[in-house]
Amino acid sequence: MSFLAAATEPTVKLTPQARILAAAIALVFMAMILELIRRHRLQERYSVIWFVAGLGMLAGATFPDLLEVVADAMGVRDTNVALFSLVLLLLLGLALNFSVIVSRQAEQITRLAQERAIESARANGAGLDARGDGAGGSAAERPAEPGGERL
Amino acid sequence: MSTLVFIPAWNEEASIASVIAGVRRALPDADLLVVDDGSVDATAARALEAGARVASLPFNQGLGAALQTGYLYALRNGYDYCAHLDADGQHPPAEVARLLAEVTEDRADLAIGSRYRDPGAAEEDDYRPSVSRRIGTGVFRFFLTLATRQRFTDTTSGMRAANRRVMTLFGERYSPDFAELESLQRAVRQGLRVEELPVRMLPRREGHSFLTPLRSAFFIFKSVIVLLVGQFRPRSAELGDDR
Repeated sequence: MSFLAAATEPTVKLTPQARILAAAIALVFMAMILELIRRHRLQERYSVIWFVAGLGMLAGATFPDLLEVVADAMGVRDTNVALFSLVLLLLLGLALNFSVIVSRQAEQITRLAQERAIESARANGAGLDARGDGAGGSAAERPAEPGGERL
Repeated sequence: MSTLVFIPAWNEEASIASVIAGVRRALPDADLLVVDDGSVDATAARALEAGARVASLPFNQGLGAALQTGYLYALRNGYDYCAHLDADGQHPPAEVARLLAEVTEDRADLAIGSRYRDPGAAEEDDYRPSVSRRIGTGVFRFFLTLATRQRFTDTTSGMRAANRRVMTLFGERYSPDFAELESLQRAVRQGLRVEELPVRMLPRREGHSFLTPLRSAFFIFKSVIVLLVGQFRPRSAELGDDR
């Protein structure tokens, strides 16, 4: 890297203020996540990814050289571009992850609604049987219904 | 031998009672279930008055979820056969009886009522679809035929009869959005005998179709993706012991 630095403009140098600010934001961010878990507003299993993001931010603020190593490994000359690409990718992955979670929960909600609907049908079906009027159909069909109690 | 006829209904208070009465006349021995898909009108009350059982979904979940509720109910209560038809009065119950006969006489696992008597003569028929619907129908036909290597004319028909194999398959998983297409594809891929029967259908009495050209285009796009993905699902893995 040193030969590259000699050849071109020095890559981004974070000022001490910027580094302290970034580290502080990372720490506050992680504290917020802990607080959300404590108040049961965020489940632990969904918090891991955010902790990793917070740690990454902290690492970047503490060791700015790390970014250059990463940019170099990616073959990107501009450290800023490398940083933004990585963050964008991470956010994209997170958004997709949420879509997956939303889909799964939508499916669970549907199944829950269906189970409840089937229960309600059993309840009002029992009412039909109790009246014993055959509910408009032939009188024989009601008792002949198989496995009504199996539900 | 026991049969359940179920009717998915969403805000169909005007027509549900007459549909129930029609099914009772055509199929006096079948049990009747109305799956109320979160209606905000008096659909459930009308159905109860008419003497049907009512399975009420607490909120609107879409046709696919409503149909799956019916299949699940039939499966859990040990019915040998089930059939369903639309609640808007488009489907003559006598035709449902014909579909059921196909299944009870074991000529098919799943029988579907097609409104196109002869695929070539749709225009001369008493059923006259709009332009966007005709395009959609054409696209669906093409892709479904491609996917299943079996000829289907009415890919979105809501009039069907099924046996327990089909109940097991559809009770397990049923796409909430693209109910008809994907379910046909899956049934064929599972090696079930799916048969299409020409049936007479009536014009809609109440309400109007939800399809606008833009929605149709989106619907077609989604359906094609669903079919494409469906082609990569493993065959015969879902039915398990029931086959």
